[in-house]
Amino acid sequence: MKPLEGIVLALQQVWAHKLKSAFTLLGVVIGVTFLIAVITVVEGMNRYVQDDLAGSIFGVNTVTIVRRNRITTGPESENARRRASRNPQLTIRDVEVVRAAVPDAWLLSFYEDRNLPEVRNKELRRRNVRLIGGSPDHAELQGMPIEFGRGLTELDERRGLRNVIIGAGIVDRLFPDESPLEKDIRLGPHTFRVVGVFERQGGMFGSIRDAAILIPFATYRQNFSRSKNEVDAISIKMRSAEELEDVTLAVEAALRSDRGLRPGEENTFHFETSEELLGAWRSISRILFAAIPALVGVSLVVGGIVIMNIMLLSVAGRIKEIGVRKAIGARRQDILIQFLAESATLSLLGAAIGIMLGIGLGAVVDRISPLPAAVPMWAIVVALSVGLFVGVASGIYPAWKAANQDPIVALHSE
Amino acid sequence: MNTRDIIIETHGLRKEYEMGSETVYALRGVDVSIERNEYIAVMGPSGSGKSTLMNLIGCLDTPTAGEYLLNGQAVQGLEDDELARIRNREIGFVFQTFNLLPRATALHNVELPLIYAGVPAKERSKRAEHALEQTGLADRMDHKPNELSGGQRQRVAIARALVNVPSILLADEPTGNLDSVTSADIMKVFDELHDAGQTIIMVTHELEVSEHAERVITLRDGMVESHDAQREQRPVVEV
Repeated sequence: MKPLEGIVLALQQVWAHKLKSAFTLLGVVIGVTFLIAVITVVEGMNRYVQDDLAGSIFGVNTVTIVRRNRITTGPESENARRRASRNPQLTIRDVEVVRAAVPDAWLLSFYEDRNLPEVRNKELRRRNVRLIGGSPDHAELQGMPIEFGRGLTELDERRGLRNVIIGAGIVDRLFPDESPLEKDIRLGPHTFRVVGVFERQGGMFGSIRDAAILIPFATYRQNFSRSKNEVDAISIKMRSAEELEDVTLAVEAALRSDRGLRPGEENTFHFETSEELLGAWRSISRILFAAIPALVGVSLVVGGIVIMNIMLLSVAGRIKEIGVRKAIGARRQDILIQFLAESATLSLLGAAIGIMLGIGLGAVVDRISPLPAAVPMWAIVVALSVGLFVGVASGIYPAWKAANQDPIVALHSE
Repeated sequence: MNTRDIIIETHGLRKEYEMGSETVYALRGVDVSIERNEYIAVMGPSGSGKSTLMNLIGCLDTPTAGEYLLNGQAVQGLEDDELARIRNREIGFVFQTFNLLPRATALHNVELPLIYAGVPAKERSKRAEHALEQTGLADRMDHKPNELSGGQRQRVAIARALVNVPSILLADEPTGNLDSVTSADIMKVFDELHDAGQTIIMVTHELEVSEHAERVITLRDGMVESHDAQREQRPVVEV
């Protein structure tokens, strides 16, 4: 008998017992759904991080100097953490050292930021916003284009004006049906004038940026900062990636000499680049991918055991049929193939349903959460292979039992 | 005897089973010889060994000792797969309980032996349709067994047995589950097949049924008690 006949036979069998089949398939369906959904989301994240996020958070061709590493993925040693916690705050003085070290920087900016419990336009309020006090080039360097109005200028900075640029998410809340330009908003006890609106960023991390408020650094220092000369980060943007390495070396040398670090001593500051973020993300996604087999494996093993049991029941209930088939000329391998095809078809059907549910689940996640989703072709291939494997593996024993039935005994069973 | 067309020949056929600590001697040396186009009834009380003989002749089982030649080919000692092939090509089984696949149509049931013979789908349905026409079921091909009467089911089973054009039709109490009117119908089908040249071996315990056969082989205690010809026009086969 050809395997194709076995598959047709198996499908008839599945169709004849719709409800039983549905329960049989549950384990495989859940396993594969989960497999596809997780891969879809992680892969979507991958693409998002690589294509958009790395560039938009740290900017293309940009290096940022901070007091200590803000992204940790691995188990950082206790010593390294303690040492980093003793690093001094970056200051305006450091900004000048960096500026002197990189005279040909395309853009150079620095900022300090904090969480603000709320921002208000009369009765309308938006809670939990990120307030940034940035130097004039901050928005451009960070890749946050202005959609309406204007950006911050040297004049705003020099005079410490209470002018503000707000994110699209804040416009939604505070100015639902009017233009925010030239309107006053309240940041804590202070009144600021909206002079510009950032373009909407959207997406997963974009929604955080859409809740950002940018004011001149000088104004921030006067109204929101406890210290008078500290900054959180200094960023330099170059025109090409090749320049970045030299710039980093130059800045490192300048800061070390300014801080009087001796050779062999660790840096008391840290460089952030988009490469670093990508590396961090890669190790996170590696962990996620490594966890998939374990999680999916459990439900597939359960699913396989269920299929095996159902197949054993199916064999036991069809002993007479096996006898008849053998009497009319079915060889051992014909019976073996018939039952293997049946369990493989069951399992593949489960995998197919799981793939569809997984893609659906991914699409739902994509729709209702900021997590992006993308279904890679290889995930579908993997899911189908896994389905086939589970089906064949769980069908071997029942099929072997069926194939080795004595035809005489089988014919006389009831 | 050598000039005749012998289809089944057994010499000293023995079959023993281990039943717990006891050995059951089901057949104790059976010699039978059956010609092409013979119509044989196998009779005997229960425990006489007739089922065992049928299983051996049908190649469902192999003898403990002795020789069995089917169409001149020694069958004893063959592998399972070779026995399956012989059952598929040479033997058509008809059972007391019909043994049709319940969820398959009449046509598909009849096609089954052809599937195992590797016949292509198109030719398969043509031959299955032809076999069903032969047994008078041309208008019931798409019916499932539970939509057919007992007599019709047995006709499907006979069509299934015939579809591979076997050397022998092996029927085990084919009317055992049928009322007398239907039994007569089915026996007429066997008569017609025999008239068309089919070799038939039928296990039965009903005299009426055995009267359709040309010769009755009676078994007792695992041995042939008699093998009498019932009609003058057929010669007695010496064994």
